[in-house]
Amino acid sequence: MTITLQTIIFALLSVVVLGSALFVVTTRNLFHAALMLILSFFGVAGLYVLLESGFFAVAQVLVYIGAISILFIFAVMLTRGMVAMPRVNAQAQLAALVSVLLFVVIVVIVNPTALSIKVLPGASERVLGGIPWQFTTVTTITDSYIKQFGASLVDGSAYLLPFLLAAVLLDIALAGAVQVARERRPAEVLAERELMAAEAAEEQQREQALDTAPETVLAADHH
Amino acid sequence: MEQGILNGIPLHFFLIVAAGLFCIGLYGVLGRKNAIAMLMGVELMLNAVNINLIAFWRYVRPETPAALAFVAFVFVVAAAEAAVGLALIISVYRNTKSVDPEKLDQMKF
Repeated sequence: MTITLQTIIFALLSVVVLGSALFVVTTRNLFHAALMLILSFFGVAGLYVLLESGFFAVAQVLVYIGAISILFIFAVMLTRGMVAMPRVNAQAQLAALVSVLLFVVIVVIVNPTALSIKVLPGASERVLGGIPWQFTTVTTITDSYIKQFGASLVDGSAYLLPFLLAAVLLDIALAGAVQVARERRPAEVLAERELMAAEAAEEQQREQALDTAPETVLAADHH
Repeated sequence: MEQGILNGIPLHFFLIVAAGLFCIGLYGVLGRKNAIAMLMGVELMLNAVNINLIAFWRYVRPETPAALAFVAFVFVVAAAEAAVGLALIISVYRNTKSVDPEKLDQMKF
């Protein structure tokens, strides 16, 4: 493998992505975690640029960094009292073990030479599931890929239905998020509490009636 | 050998970085005590999936837009999930003054 400018950029981006992701899952301060999450998203956008997929790099910046990260920062700020809570739960060590094991398994599957497992001589391209995993040359692509992608989203025989469902999903998520997180007015909350108290009292009366009813029957039998 | 922008980077490099990101996110989901931190882990995992999809698209099937459509839908689902999930966490925090998922056992039978 030769060192090219692209491999150096790739290594830098990988360090940024993985390093900031590790910081996100280990830091105690959630606000710092949210900021490092943004850095990680930027690194992933850089990887998209490296993969010649500029459209998704821009979408990554707009959707993940522009919208989702801001949501996270708002949520961290609105739950300000929870910044000092313990970092990990009781199963954290087991979780770390499972994660590391999964990573090792994936690395072995993806690249057997990483753990110096011998590949058969002459097998420069391992073909697994029809995919040659280790090739480095790729065909050049033109800008028409984004045209094809856009056309396939509105093509009835391709992705029109998922596209429409995605729109419906976003609408429902918007309405649901507003409904769930809405700050209710005190009068509304009071009315709801009164209703719940009345229901509870009614339930209690019914239970009492059920409790006493068999006793009266038994008492009547006894006499 | 073609001189593309990807010159010198084999496919499995991207796959290994994506696997690392996925496993870090998995640890975040399973091991963190704060519900917001758990959602951050989910976002990292979704990003890892997107890296895999785009890497396979670029190296294996650059002529078909299937992977790109999947990536777009992952974006949509991630946005919806973050909005609803954080709204739920804020609502729970307002009612119980806690974002610890282990304390949310009111529905335990």
